[in-house]
Amino acid sequence: MGSEARKRSREKIREQREREKRAAKRTKTLIVIGAAAAVVVLVVGIGFAVLNADRRDSGYEGALPPQALQEDGSVVLAQEGAQAPVVEVYADFQCPACRQFELLNGDVLKRNAAEGNAIVHYRPVSIFAQQPVPISSNSLRAGAAARAAAEHGYFVEYNDILFENQPTEGNEGFTVDELKDWFRQTDANAEQEGEFDRRIDEEAAVVTTFTEDYLPALTEDAMAEIGEETLGTMVLSDLISWGADHGHDPAFLDGTYTGEIITATGTAYTRYSGDNTFRGTPSVYLNGELLDNNTAMTVRGLNEAIASADAGEVDTQPMGDGGAE
Amino acid sequence: MDTTDESPDASTAPAVPRSRWEAVQPWLTLACRLGLAAVLVFAAVSKFPPALSVQAVEAYDLFPVEVARLIGYTLPLFELALAALLLVGLATRYVGAVGALLMFVFIAGIVSAMARGLNIDCGCFGGGGQVAPGETTYGLSIARDIAFAAMGAFIAVWPRSPFALDRAIGLFR
Repeated sequence: MGSEARKRSREKIREQREREKRAAKRTKTLIVIGAAAAVVVLVVGIGFAVLNADRRDSGYEGALPPQALQEDGSVVLAQEGAQAPVVEVYADFQCPACRQFELLNGDVLKRNAAEGNAIVHYRPVSIFAQQPVPISSNSLRAGAAARAAAEHGYFVEYNDILFENQPTEGNEGFTVDELKDWFRQTDANAEQEGEFDRRIDEEAAVVTTFTEDYLPALTEDAMAEIGEETLGTMVLSDLISWGADHGHDPAFLDGTYTGEIITATGTAYTRYSGDNTFRGTPSVYLNGELLDNNTAMTVRGLNEAIASADAGEVDTQPMGDGGAE
Repeated sequence: MDTTDESPDASTAPAVPRSRWEAVQPWLTLACRLGLAAVLVFAAVSKFPPALSVQAVEAYDLFPVEVARLIGYTLPLFELALAALLLVGLATRYVGAVGALLMFVFIAGIVSAMARGLNIDCGCFGGGGQVAPGETTYGLSIARDIAFAAMGAFIAVWPRSPFALDRAIGLFR
Protein backbone atom coordinates (compact mmCIF):
# COMPACT_ATOMS: atom_id res chain seq x y z
CA MET A 1 0.00 0.00 0.00
CA GLY A 2 2.60 2.50 1.19
CA SER A 3 5.09 1.63 -1.53
CA GLU A 4 2.30 1.87 -4.09
CA ALA A 5 1.50 5.42 -2.92
CA ARG A 6 5.17 6.42 -2.99
CA LYS A 7 5.46 5.10 -6.52
CA ARG A 8 2.44 7.11 -7.57
CA SER A 9 3.76 10.30 -6.03
CA ARG A 10 7.19 9.73 -7.64
CA GLU A 11 5.37 9.25 -10.92
CA LYS A 12 3.51 12.49 -10.37
CA ILE A 13 6.68 14.47 -9.62
CA ARG A 14 8.30 13.05 -12.71
CA GLU A 15 5.34 14.06 -14.85
CA GLN A 16 5.42 17.47 -13.27
CA ARG A 17 9.12 17.83 -14.16
CA GLU A 18 8.45 16.69 -17.70
CA ARG A 19 5.71 19.26 -18.07
CA GLU A 20 7.95 22.01 -16.79
CA LYS A 21 10.69 20.96 -19.13
CA ARG A 22 8.30 20.98 -22.07
CA ALA A 23 7.02 24.41 -21.06
CA ALA A 24 10.59 25.72 -20.80
CA LYS A 25 11.38 24.35 -24.22
CA ARG A 26 8.27 25.92 -25.67
CA THR A 27 9.33 29.25 -24.25
CA LYS A 28 12.81 28.93 -25.72
CA THR A 29 11.36 28.00 -29.08
CA LEU A 30 9.05 30.99 -29.00
CA ILE A 31 11.96 33.24 -28.08
CA VAL A 32 14.14 32.12 -30.99
CA ILE A 33 11.23 32.30 -33.42
CA GLY A 34 10.45 35.79 -32.17
CA ALA A 35 14.09 36.82 -32.48
CA ALA A 36 14.30 35.37 -35.99
CA ALA A 37 11.11 37.13 -37.03
CA ALA A 38 12.49 40.38 -35.63
CA VAL A 39 15.67 39.92 -37.70
CA VAL A 40 13.58 39.39 -40.83
CA VAL A 41 11.41 42.42 -40.16
CA LEU A 42 14.46 44.58 -39.43
CA VAL A 43 16.43 43.51 -42.50
CA VAL A 44 13.47 43.83 -44.85
CA GLY A 45 12.21 47.07 -43.27
CA ILE A 46 15.53 48.87 -43.12
CA GLY A 47 16.56 47.56 -46.53
CA PHE A 48 13.29 48.69 -48.08
CA ALA A 49 13.64 52.14 -46.53
CA VAL A 50 17.23 52.48 -47.76
CA LEU A 51 16.42 51.30 -51.28
CA ASN A 52 13.54 53.74 -51.48
CA ALA A 53 15.27 56.65 -49.77
CA ASP A 54 16.49 58.22 -52.99
CA ARG A 55 13.19 57.76 -54.75
CA ARG A 56 11.20 60.09 -52.56
CA ASP A 57 12.32 63.35 -54.12
CA SER A 58 12.87 61.95 -57.61
CA GLY A 59 9.46 62.98 -58.97
CA TYR A 60 9.41 65.90 -61.36
CA GLU A 61 6.28 67.85 -62.22
CA GLY A 62 7.92 71.07 -63.34
CA ALA A 63 8.06 72.61 -66.79
CA LEU A 64 10.05 70.76 -69.45
CA PRO A 65 12.90 72.42 -71.30
CA PRO A 66 12.62 72.58 -75.11
CA GLN A 67 12.64 69.26 -76.97
CA ALA A 68 14.34 69.29 -80.35
CA LEU A 69 13.55 66.65 -82.93
CA GLN A 70 16.70 65.38 -84.64
CA GLU A 71 17.24 64.34 -88.25
CA ASP A 72 17.33 60.64 -87.34
CA GLY A 73 14.04 60.86 -85.46
CA SER A 74 15.60 61.02 -82.00
CA VAL A 75 14.76 63.84 -79.59
CA VAL A 76 17.01 66.09 -77.51
CA LEU A 77 15.63 67.53 -74.29
CA ALA A 78 17.80 70.36 -72.97
CA GLN A 79 17.83 73.99 -71.97
CA GLU A 80 18.78 76.39 -74.75
CA GLY A 81 22.57 76.35 -75.16
CA ALA A 82 23.10 74.03 -72.21
CA GLN A 83 26.70 72.99 -71.59
CA ALA A 84 26.17 69.70 -69.83
CA PRO A 85 26.85 65.96 -70.08
CA VAL A 86 24.84 64.12 -72.73
CA VAL A 87 22.68 61.24 -71.53
CA GLU A 88 21.55 59.01 -74.38
CA VAL A 89 18.63 56.72 -73.64
CA TYR A 90 17.96 53.78 -75.95
CA ALA A 91 14.62 52.19 -75.23
CA ASP A 92 12.06 49.95 -76.87
CA PHE A 93 8.51 50.81 -75.86
CA GLN A 94 7.65 47.13 -75.52
CA CYS A 95 10.67 46.32 -73.35
CA PRO A 96 9.77 45.77 -69.67
CA ALA A 97 13.19 46.74 -68.32
CA CYS A 98 12.89 50.00 -70.29
CA ARG A 99 9.59 50.60 -68.55
CA GLN A 100 11.31 50.08 -65.19
CA PHE A 101 14.02 52.53 -66.19
CA GLU A 102 11.44 55.08 -67.24
CA LEU A 103 9.38 54.64 -64.04
CA LEU A 104 12.49 54.91 -61.90
CA ASN A 105 14.61 57.50 -63.65
CA GLY A 106 12.39 59.21 -66.23
CA ASP A 107 11.78 62.13 -63.90
CA VAL A 108 15.42 62.21 -62.83
CA LEU A 109 16.36 62.86 -66.45
CA LYS A 110 13.69 65.52 -66.89
CA ARG A 111 14.79 67.31 -63.75
CA ASN A 112 18.44 67.25 -64.78
CA ALA A 113 17.54 68.55 -68.22
CA ALA A 114 15.28 71.26 -66.80
CA GLU A 115 17.97 72.43 -64.40
CA GLY A 116 20.54 72.55 -67.17
CA ASN A 117 22.55 69.70 -65.63
CA ALA A 118 22.11 67.31 -68.52
CA ILE A 119 21.30 67.13 -72.20
CA VAL A 120 18.96 64.18 -72.52
CA HIS A 121 18.98 62.45 -75.88
CA TYR A 122 16.03 60.06 -76.31
CA ARG A 123 16.83 57.49 -78.98
CA PRO A 124 13.87 55.13 -79.37
CA VAL A 125 14.65 51.81 -81.02
CA SER A 126 12.77 48.64 -81.84
CA ILE A 127 14.91 45.71 -80.81
CA PHE A 128 11.75 43.57 -80.87
CA ALA A 129 10.92 44.19 -84.53
CA GLN A 130 11.82 40.59 -85.43
CA GLN A 131 9.97 39.01 -82.51
CA PRO A 132 6.65 37.27 -83.09
CA VAL A 133 3.50 39.39 -83.41
CA PRO A 134 2.23 41.08 -81.24
CA ILE A 135 5.56 41.84 -79.55
CA SER A 136 7.03 43.16 -82.81
CA SER A 137 3.93 45.02 -83.93
CA ASN A 138 3.41 46.62 -80.50
CA SER A 139 7.02 47.75 -80.42
CA LEU A 140 6.98 49.21 -83.94
CA ARG A 141 3.56 50.87 -83.65
CA ALA A 142 4.54 52.55 -80.40
CA GLY A 143 7.88 53.64 -81.84
CA ALA A 144 6.18 55.17 -84.86
CA ALA A 145 3.58 56.86 -82.66
CA ALA A 146 6.26 58.37 -80.44
CA ARG A 147 7.95 59.71 -83.56
CA ALA A 148 4.64 61.18 -84.71
CA ALA A 149 4.25 62.86 -81.31
CA ALA A 150 7.80 64.18 -81.61
CA GLU A 151 6.81 65.76 -84.92
CA HIS A 152 4.47 68.00 -82.93
CA GLY A 153 6.87 68.55 -80.03
CA TYR A 154 5.27 66.15 -77.56
CA PHE A 155 7.72 63.28 -77.53
CA VAL A 156 8.64 63.37 -73.85
CA GLU A 157 5.04 63.52 -72.66
CA TYR A 158 4.00 60.77 -75.06
CA ASN A 159 7.00 58.64 -74.11
CA ASP A 160 5.77 58.68 -70.49
CA ILE A 161 2.26 57.69 -71.51
CA LEU A 162 3.47 54.81 -73.64
CA PHE A 163 5.57 53.32 -70.86
CA GLU A 164 2.78 53.76 -68.32
CA ASN A 165 0.52 51.77 -70.61
CA GLN A 166 2.99 49.18 -71.82
CA PRO A 167 1.19 45.92 -72.64
CA THR A 168 2.45 42.75 -71.02
CA GLU A 169 4.86 41.07 -73.40
CA GLY A 170 2.94 38.77 -75.70
CA ASN A 171 -0.37 40.60 -75.31
CA GLU A 172 -1.88 42.77 -78.01
CA GLY A 173 -1.55 46.43 -77.04
CA PHE A 174 -0.61 49.93 -78.19
CA THR A 175 -3.66 49.73 -80.43
CA VAL A 176 -4.40 52.42 -83.00
CA ASP A 177 -7.30 53.76 -80.93
CA GLU A 178 -5.24 53.84 -77.75
CA LEU A 179 -2.36 55.59 -79.48
CA LYS A 180 -4.72 58.26 -80.77
CA ASP A 181 -6.43 58.70 -77.41
CA TRP A 182 -3.16 59.10 -75.58
CA PHE A 183 -2.05 61.90 -77.90
CA ARG A 184 -5.11 63.81 -76.68
CA GLN A 185 -3.63 63.74 -73.17
CA THR A 186 -0.89 66.08 -74.40
CA ASP A 187 -1.51 69.76 -75.10
CA ALA A 188 -1.76 69.17 -78.85
CA ASN A 189 -4.34 71.20 -80.76
CA ALA A 190 -7.07 69.81 -83.01
CA GLU A 191 -5.08 70.26 -86.18
CA GLN A 192 -2.12 68.37 -84.70
CA GLU A 193 -4.47 65.65 -83.51
CA GLY A 194 -5.85 65.26 -87.01
CA GLU A 195 -2.38 64.97 -88.50
CA PHE A 196 -1.31 62.57 -85.77
CA ASP A 197 -4.34 60.32 -86.34
CA ARG A 198 -3.77 60.16 -90.08
CA ARG A 199 -0.15 59.29 -89.54
CA ILE A 200 -0.97 56.57 -87.01
CA ASP A 201 -3.37 54.94 -89.46
CA GLU A 202 -0.70 54.93 -92.16
CA GLU A 203 2.02 53.63 -89.86
CA ALA A 204 -0.21 50.90 -88.42
CA ALA A 205 -0.82 49.62 -91.93
CA VAL A 206 2.91 49.66 -92.65
CA VAL A 207 3.60 47.78 -89.41
CA THR A 208 1.03 45.13 -90.30
CA THR A 209 2.52 44.66 -93.76
CA PHE A 210 5.98 44.50 -92.28
CA THR A 211 5.32 42.06 -89.46
CA GLU A 212 2.77 39.81 -91.18
CA ASP A 213 3.81 39.65 -94.83
CA TYR A 214 7.16 41.20 -95.61
CA LEU A 215 9.31 39.95 -92.70
CA PRO A 216 8.04 36.33 -92.53
CA ALA A 217 8.63 35.90 -96.28
CA LEU A 218 12.03 37.57 -96.10
CA THR A 219 13.08 35.52 -93.08
CA GLU A 220 12.01 32.28 -94.74
CA ASP A 221 14.04 33.05 -97.87
CA ALA A 222 17.06 34.19 -95.92
CA MET A 223 16.88 31.10 -93.73
CA ALA A 224 16.97 28.91 -96.83
CA GLU A 225 19.73 30.83 -98.60
CA ILE A 226 22.12 32.04 -95.95
CA GLY A 227 21.27 29.69 -93.10
CA GLU A 228 19.91 30.21 -89.64
CA GLU A 229 23.30 30.71 -88.06
CA THR A 230 24.41 33.66 -90.20
CA LEU A 231 20.91 35.05 -90.01
CA GLY A 232 21.12 35.05 -86.23
CA THR A 233 24.12 37.38 -86.37
CA MET A 234 22.52 39.85 -88.79
CA VAL A 235 20.79 42.96 -87.54
CA LEU A 236 17.43 43.70 -89.09
CA SER A 237 18.62 46.54 -91.30
CA ASP A 238 21.27 44.24 -92.83
CA LEU A 239 18.64 41.59 -93.45
CA ILE A 240 16.47 44.18 -95.14
CA SER A 241 19.36 45.27 -97.41
CA TRP A 242 19.94 41.60 -98.28
CA GLY A 243 16.25 41.27 -99.06
CA ALA A 244 16.34 44.30 -101.36
CA ASP A 245 18.76 42.38 -103.61
CA HIS A 246 16.78 39.16 -103.38
CA GLY A 247 13.28 40.11 -104.39
CA HIS A 248 11.97 41.58 -101.15
CA ASP A 249 11.45 45.24 -101.94
CA PRO A 250 11.54 47.35 -98.77
CA ALA A 251 10.33 50.47 -100.60
CA PHE A 252 7.08 50.47 -98.60
CA LEU A 253 9.17 51.48 -95.57
CA ASP A 254 10.61 54.57 -97.26
CA GLY A 255 9.63 57.79 -95.58
CA THR A 256 7.71 55.98 -92.83
CA TYR A 257 8.43 56.33 -89.13
CA THR A 258 8.37 52.55 -88.95
CA GLY A 259 11.22 52.38 -91.44
CA GLU A 260 13.00 55.17 -89.60
CA ILE A 261 13.01 53.39 -86.25
CA ILE A 262 14.24 50.16 -87.88
CA THR A 263 17.12 52.12 -89.41
CA ALA A 264 17.81 53.89 -86.11
CA THR A 265 17.99 50.50 -84.40
CA GLY A 266 20.42 49.13 -86.97
CA THR A 267 22.61 52.22 -86.64
CA ALA A 268 22.66 51.91 -82.85
CA TYR A 269 24.38 48.52 -83.13
CA THR A 270 27.30 50.08 -85.02
CA ARG A 271 27.57 53.42 -83.22
CA TYR A 272 29.70 52.27 -80.29
CA SER A 273 32.55 49.82 -79.97
CA GLY A 274 34.21 47.65 -77.35
CA ASP A 275 32.61 47.66 -73.93
CA ASN A 276 30.23 50.38 -75.06
CA THR A 277 28.69 48.33 -77.87
CA PHE A 278 24.92 48.59 -77.97
CA ARG A 279 23.51 45.16 -77.14
CA GLY A 280 19.96 45.69 -75.98
CA THR A 281 17.60 47.94 -74.15
CA PRO A 282 17.53 49.88 -72.00
CA SER A 283 20.98 51.22 -72.75
CA VAL A 284 21.96 54.49 -71.16
CA TYR A 285 25.11 56.28 -72.27
CA LEU A 286 26.79 59.18 -70.56
CA ASN A 287 28.98 61.11 -73.01
CA GLY A 288 29.19 57.97 -75.11
CA GLU A 289 30.06 55.64 -72.23
CA LEU A 290 27.62 52.81 -71.55
CA LEU A 291 26.42 52.95 -67.94
CA ASP A 292 26.15 49.70 -65.98
CA ASN A 293 22.88 48.65 -64.37
CA ASN A 294 23.88 49.77 -60.89
CA THR A 295 24.36 53.27 -62.26
CA ALA A 296 21.56 53.50 -64.79
CA MET A 297 18.93 51.61 -62.80
CA THR A 298 19.29 53.41 -59.49
CA VAL A 299 18.30 57.01 -58.83
CA ARG A 300 21.41 57.84 -56.85
CA GLY A 301 23.71 56.13 -59.33
CA LEU A 302 22.37 58.06 -62.29
CA ASN A 303 22.27 61.39 -60.47
CA GLU A 304 25.84 61.02 -59.25
CA ALA A 305 27.12 59.92 -62.65
CA ILE A 306 25.54 62.96 -64.31
CA ALA A 307 26.82 65.30 -61.62
CA SER A 308 30.40 64.10 -61.99
CA ALA A 309 30.53 64.07 -65.81
CA ASP A 310 31.91 66.81 -68.07
CA ALA A 311 29.89 68.61 -70.72
CA GLY A 312 29.35 66.60 -73.90
CA GLU A 313 28.22 67.02 -77.49
CA VAL A 314 25.08 65.69 -79.10
CA ASP A 315 26.07 63.64 -82.17
CA THR A 316 22.97 64.35 -84.26
CA GLN A 317 21.69 67.43 -86.07
CA PRO A 318 18.35 69.03 -85.31
CA MET A 319 15.66 68.61 -87.96
CA GLY A 320 15.90 71.46 -90.48
CA ASP A 321 12.50 73.08 -90.55
CA GLY A 322 11.71 72.85 -86.86
CA GLY A 323 9.39 69.89 -86.49
CA ALA A 324 9.58 70.51 -82.78
CA GLU A 325 8.27 73.57 -81.01
CA MET B 1 12.11 14.20 -34.08
CA ASP B 2 13.17 15.57 -30.74
CA THR B 3 15.17 12.56 -29.66
CA THR B 4 18.26 14.70 -30.02
CA ASP B 5 17.07 17.09 -27.37
CA GLU B 6 18.57 17.21 -23.89
CA SER B 7 18.29 13.90 -22.20
CA PRO B 8 16.20 14.20 -19.01
CA ASP B 9 18.72 12.28 -17.00
CA ALA B 10 22.16 13.86 -16.86
CA SER B 11 23.87 10.57 -16.12
CA THR B 12 22.80 9.08 -19.44
CA ALA B 13 23.74 12.15 -21.51
CA PRO B 14 25.32 10.96 -24.75
CA ALA B 15 28.93 11.81 -24.09
CA VAL B 16 29.79 9.48 -26.91
CA PRO B 17 27.56 9.53 -30.04
CA ARG B 18 25.45 6.45 -30.18
CA SER B 19 25.79 5.94 -33.91
CA ARG B 20 27.65 7.14 -36.92
CA TRP B 21 24.54 9.03 -38.08
CA GLU B 22 24.48 11.03 -34.87
CA ALA B 23 28.10 11.98 -35.38
CA VAL B 24 27.67 12.96 -39.01
CA GLN B 25 24.25 14.57 -39.02
CA PRO B 26 25.18 17.85 -37.27
CA TRP B 27 27.88 18.46 -39.83
CA LEU B 28 25.53 17.68 -42.68
CA THR B 29 23.07 20.16 -41.23
CA LEU B 30 25.85 22.73 -40.92
CA ALA B 31 26.77 22.12 -44.57
CA CYS B 32 23.13 22.64 -45.58
CA ARG B 33 22.94 25.83 -43.52
CA LEU B 34 26.06 27.27 -45.14
CA GLY B 35 25.13 26.04 -48.60
CA LEU B 36 21.60 27.39 -48.52
CA ALA B 37 22.82 30.67 -47.02
CA ALA B 38 25.35 31.06 -49.84
CA VAL B 39 22.67 30.37 -52.44
CA LEU B 40 20.34 32.92 -50.85
CA VAL B 41 23.01 35.61 -50.59
CA PHE B 42 23.98 35.09 -54.21
CA ALA B 43 20.33 35.17 -55.28
CA ALA B 44 19.70 38.38 -53.35
CA VAL B 45 22.81 40.20 -54.53
CA SER B 46 22.32 39.26 -58.17
CA LYS B 47 18.80 40.69 -58.06
CA PHE B 48 20.22 44.17 -57.45
CA PRO B 49 19.29 46.82 -58.54
CA PRO B 50 15.66 46.40 -57.49
CA ALA B 51 14.27 48.05 -60.62
CA LEU B 52 15.39 44.98 -62.58
CA SER B 53 14.12 42.64 -59.90
CA VAL B 54 10.69 44.30 -60.22
CA GLN B 55 10.80 43.62 -63.95
CA ALA B 56 11.62 39.95 -63.32
CA VAL B 57 8.58 39.67 -61.03
CA GLU B 58 6.34 41.47 -63.52
CA ALA B 59 7.35 39.01 -66.23
CA TYR B 60 5.43 36.30 -64.34
CA ASP B 61 2.32 38.35 -65.00
CA LEU B 62 0.77 37.21 -61.71
CA PHE B 63 0.56 40.39 -59.64
CA PRO B 64 -0.75 43.94 -59.98
CA VAL B 65 1.96 46.52 -60.65
CA GLU B 66 2.23 47.73 -57.05
CA VAL B 67 2.43 44.22 -55.61
CA ALA B 68 5.06 43.22 -58.17
CA ARG B 69 7.03 46.28 -57.19
CA LEU B 70 6.82 45.42 -53.50
CA ILE B 71 7.93 41.84 -54.14
CA GLY B 72 10.75 43.02 -56.40
CA TYR B 73 12.10 45.21 -53.63
CA THR B 74 11.52 42.97 -50.60
CA LEU B 75 12.19 39.45 -51.90
CA PRO B 76 15.97 39.94 -52.14
CA LEU B 77 15.94 41.45 -48.64
CA PHE B 78 13.94 38.50 -47.31
CA GLU B 79 16.45 36.13 -48.89
CA LEU B 80 19.27 38.05 -47.22
CA ALA B 81 17.55 37.85 -43.84
CA LEU B 82 17.03 34.08 -44.16
CA ALA B 83 20.67 33.70 -45.15
CA ALA B 84 21.81 35.65 -42.09
CA LEU B 85 19.64 33.51 -39.79
CA LEU B 86 21.00 30.30 -41.32
CA LEU B 87 24.56 31.52 -40.90
CA VAL B 88 24.18 32.31 -37.20
CA GLY B 89 21.88 29.34 -36.60
CA LEU B 90 18.96 31.13 -35.01
CA ALA B 91 15.62 29.30 -35.00
CA THR B 92 17.41 26.84 -37.26
CA ARG B 93 14.53 24.40 -37.66
CA TYR B 94 11.99 27.06 -38.56
CA VAL B 95 14.24 29.04 -40.88
CA GLY B 96 15.07 25.82 -42.72
CA ALA B 97 11.35 25.13 -43.08
CA VAL B 98 10.65 28.65 -44.32
CA GLY B 99 13.53 28.33 -46.80
CA ALA B 100 12.10 25.07 -48.14
CA LEU B 101 8.65 26.65 -48.34
CA LEU B 102 10.05 29.64 -50.23
CA MET B 103 11.57 27.28 -52.79
CA PHE B 104 8.17 25.63 -53.27
CA VAL B 105 6.62 29.05 -53.85
CA PHE B 106 9.30 29.69 -56.51
CA ILE B 107 8.59 26.31 -58.09
CA ALA B 108 4.87 27.10 -58.16
CA GLY B 109 5.63 30.39 -59.92
CA ILE B 110 7.82 28.71 -62.51
CA VAL B 111 5.27 25.94 -63.13
CA SER B 112 2.56 28.55 -63.57
CA ALA B 113 4.70 30.45 -66.10
CA MET B 114 5.34 27.18 -67.90
CA ALA B 115 1.67 26.22 -67.90
CA ARG B 116 0.67 29.57 -69.36
CA GLY B 117 3.22 29.21 -72.14
CA LEU B 118 5.24 32.25 -71.06
CA ASN B 119 8.80 32.47 -72.34
CA ILE B 120 10.57 34.02 -69.40
CA ASP B 121 13.74 33.65 -67.43
CA CYS B 122 12.91 32.66 -63.84
CA GLY B 123 14.89 35.64 -62.53
CA CYS B 124 16.09 33.40 -59.72
CA PHE B 125 19.59 34.82 -59.83
CA GLY B 126 19.06 38.24 -61.35
CA GLY B 127 18.12 38.49 -64.99
CA GLY B 128 14.49 37.63 -65.57
CA GLY B 129 12.03 38.83 -68.13
CA GLN B 130 11.28 37.63 -71.63
CA VAL B 131 13.55 35.21 -73.44
CA ALA B 132 13.29 33.80 -76.94
CA PRO B 133 10.89 30.87 -77.27
CA GLY B 134 12.85 27.66 -76.80
CA GLU B 135 15.41 29.34 -74.61
CA THR B 136 13.55 28.85 -71.38
CA THR B 137 15.20 26.73 -68.71
CA TYR B 138 12.20 25.89 -66.54
CA GLY B 139 13.30 22.29 -65.94
CA LEU B 140 16.72 23.32 -64.73
CA SER B 141 15.30 26.07 -62.52
CA ILE B 142 12.80 23.69 -60.93
CA ALA B 143 15.43 20.99 -60.37
CA ARG B 144 17.67 23.57 -58.75
CA ASP B 145 14.89 24.78 -56.50
CA ILE B 146 14.02 21.20 -55.50
CA ALA B 147 17.64 20.69 -54.44
CA PHE B 148 17.56 23.89 -52.39
CA ALA B 149 14.21 22.88 -50.88
CA ALA B 150 15.74 19.54 -49.89
CA MET B 151 18.52 21.38 -48.06
CA GLY B 152 15.96 23.46 -46.21
CA ALA B 153 13.93 20.38 -45.36
CA PHE B 154 17.03 18.59 -44.05
CA ILE B 155 17.71 21.52 -41.74
CA ALA B 156 14.10 21.53 -40.57
CA VAL B 157 14.05 17.79 -39.80
CA TRP B 158 17.52 17.61 -38.22
CA PRO B 159 18.19 21.09 -36.83
CA ARG B 160 21.00 19.98 -34.48
CA SER B 161 24.27 21.46 -35.74
CA PRO B 162 27.48 23.02 -34.43
CA PHE B 163 28.12 26.77 -34.41
CA ALA B 164 24.50 27.74 -33.87
CA LEU B 165 23.05 30.39 -31.61
CA ASP B 166 20.24 27.97 -30.83
CA ARG B 167 22.67 25.80 -28.88
CA ALA B 168 23.66 28.66 -26.64
CA ILE B 169 20.03 29.03 -25.68
CA GLY B 170 19.70 25.30 -25.21
CA LEU B 171 17.75 24.34 -28.30
CA PHE B 172 18.59 21.54 -30.73
CA ARG B 173 21.63 20.41 -28.73
